[in-house]
Amino acid sequence: MQAVVETATLVGVEAVPVEVQADVGSGLPSFSIVGLGDAAVMEARERVRSAIRASGLEFPNGRVTVNLAPAPLRKHGTGFDLPIAVALLVATRQLPADLAAGHAVVGELALDGSVRAVDGLLAHALAASRRGLGLLGPARGGPAVCGVPGVAYAGVERLGMLARGQFAVVTPPRTRAGMSGELELPDMAEVIGHAQAKRALEIAAAGGHNVLMLGPPGSGKTMLARRLPGILPPLEGEERVETALVHSVAGLDTRPALAGIRPFRAPHHTCSLAGLVGGGSPPRPGEVSLAHNGVLFLDEFAEFAPAALQTLRQPMEDGSLTLVRAEARIRYPASFVLIAAMNPCPCGFQGDTERRCSCSDTVVDRYRARIGGPLMDRLDLMVRVDRVDPERLLEAEPAAEASGSIRSRVLAARELARSRPATPNARLSGAGLLAACGLDRAARSSLTKTARSCHLSGRAITRLLRVARTAADLDGCERVTEDHVMDAVAFRSWDR
Amino acid sequence: MSKAFETHELRLGEEGYPAPLETAMRPPEVLYVAGDPGLLDYGLAVVGARRATPYGITCARRFAGWAAEQGVTIVSGAAHGCDNAAQQAAVDVGGTSIAVLGCGADLDYPPSSSKLLAHLRQHGAVISEVPWGRDPTRYAFPERNRLIAGLSRAVLIVEAALPSGTFSTARHAEDAGRDVWAVPGSVLAPECRGPNRLIAQGATPITDVSELSKALELVGLLAGDRPTPSMIVDTTDPVARALVADPMRPDDVARELDLDIVDVARRIARLESAGVLRRYRDGRYGPAERG
Repeated sequence: MQAVVETATLVGVEAVPVEVQADVGSGLPSFSIVGLGDAAVMEARERVRSAIRASGLEFPNGRVTVNLAPAPLRKHGTGFDLPIAVALLVATRQLPADLAAGHAVVGELALDGSVRAVDGLLAHALAASRRGLGLLGPARGGPAVCGVPGVAYAGVERLGMLARGQFAVVTPPRTRAGMSGELELPDMAEVIGHAQAKRALEIAAAGGHNVLMLGPPGSGKTMLARRLPGILPPLEGEERVETALVHSVAGLDTRPALAGIRPFRAPHHTCSLAGLVGGGSPPRPGEVSLAHNGVLFLDEFAEFAPAALQTLRQPMEDGSLTLVRAEARIRYPASFVLIAAMNPCPCGFQGDTERRCSCSDTVVDRYRARIGGPLMDRLDLMVRVDRVDPERLLEAEPAAEASGSIRSRVLAARELARSRPATPNARLSGAGLLAACGLDRAARSSLTKTARSCHLSGRAITRLLRVARTAADLDGCERVTEDHVMDAVAFRSWDR
Repeated sequence: MSKAFETHELRLGEEGYPAPLETAMRPPEVLYVAGDPGLLDYGLAVVGARRATPYGITCARRFAGWAAEQGVTIVSGAAHGCDNAAQQAAVDVGGTSIAVLGCGADLDYPPSSSKLLAHLRQHGAVISEVPWGRDPTRYAFPERNRLIAGLSRAVLIVEAALPSGTFSTARHAEDAGRDVWAVPGSVLAPECRGPNRLIAQGATPITDVSELSKALELVGLLAGDRPTPSMIVDTTDPVARALVADPMRPDDVARELDLDIVDVARRIARLESAGVLRRYRDGRYGPAERG
């Protein structure tokens, strides 16, 4: 007696189809699983056996073989428990043969027969829908995949309910359809002072530019960075699914991304390389991928391991990251706005009005050199974030501008940039960049003058132009004028 | 190692020993000279703090550069900050300069001045009273300051904290009967307390190039009238005026002048590209160093 059930295993953010083939024959009682499963897959035998018994069903008393096809593909995780159990029950005619037809099945079993959630349900659901199937999975996983177009999901709470035909087809709840998340995000209006840093973030949001913030400890760098998602445009249809997919695979809540909230990730500088860019066994997406379509905030930027900093270059260039492993090449999406923050010097107090800096120029230069030229070339904006006089924090100042109104300018600027060869502006380069800027004579001559007086390199000029283009977009200008070039000059990186 | 240079050992009482040092306090028995010993005549010492403010660097550059252009030899200690700025300015205008070191005259100390020192050994002089190859020691530097004062008619103090090595050079100058001049600075900045105190005690305040010119004439280092460029930054732009008087961050300028940050940032960038202002390493903007 044989049965076949469709399921899948995760490779990167993709669920690759796997067929669970069960064969129950006569012979001495045994239970083996073949097909390159990892330790978690092998342990499925114990969970499946107990879960079937606990559900009042009968575990086949004979020679049981389960094959996971295609056999050469490595499989990992506990999601095979439920499809294996279903295949065995179908093979022994305890479940109707057509029960799992039209569905891929995934889920982990507890010994008492309840079905537990697994990571990557959204990936499984999308893979199933591409094959014209629905997904039969844990009931608790429903919310993670709801609202994704084309996905049909049936949730099951306990294995025994399957036998009784009690499983619910989950349909996307229509509630909170317009959940924009603005209510839950911190607002720029709460930040006192820091006018220039806010302006830098506005430009960054409009043009997708990476920002380097320099400032003493406790000056508000983190506070400002956390408010960037709130002035970025909400995630659009395709972006929502892309981002939610990565979060799903990593076992995070997918609902914020599906509601359009851009992710904000802030790994600590002691974060391992695998934690930052992804990896491990089985490979999991790193922080850079979890920040896909959102904001990656790296505080204490200069304290990150040099190797970690250098690996950031590929995603910053390509918007994705490829891990090459013996078993597979895995591509994770990783397109993010990087907000890097660091102290201006090793002691942290250079330029502070109250504490005296104890660093010599040489020490400061060495500290800053840790970032490295190629990475600096990808940081379009640099801004100082200095401590605000405590007295000012207590003064009743006119309220700062709210995120919502900044966001509307950002949206208008992005609208203007839509027709360019590359979007956002941070991706413009070469001839496309020059053409997009359409510098007038005054802007051109002031740019050359500045390049000379500030000793700007060719790359620095490129960065300057990109930022100037975005500044012009924010002003609603088709052409970049001298004013916009000057806007960019104010945010240029440190002078060599 | 850089190019080979001339070395001389001048002994007190023998021919070729620099005359200014003979009248100084405790002239050294042996003077080690890397470079041209013929240059060792009365000059103007320009000294200042190592951790100088951009204002101090600007003043050191401007005054030393102008004096060197008129043919006055600039004497200093090649230290980081003001000393280096003054001597580099002299070199930049093609003038002569003498560096007095607290270590062997053949050593590059501090390393940040190694280029300057290499140049001076070829086209100026680097001198010391400690033998060749001896490493710098803490107590050698106050003694070095004695020689800087001894080699000059006057010592111009640009910036100095209290107490400091620079301030001790002023004491040595008084002991040796040299003139002490000082550049007044902000009453808020610790780096300016030294020169401000000296002025209160009777040092000649040097407030512009014309003042420097008059003072140099009085001590006999210059003769005859010559044009003296004004150092005042003449501008009507309120942003420029504010920043020239007191370097600040753009956020603070916008608040003080009650202007929009975008406008302020643009104006500052314009002034910067015009060479009026400069962004300092600590993120503030202030008058550009021009020499």
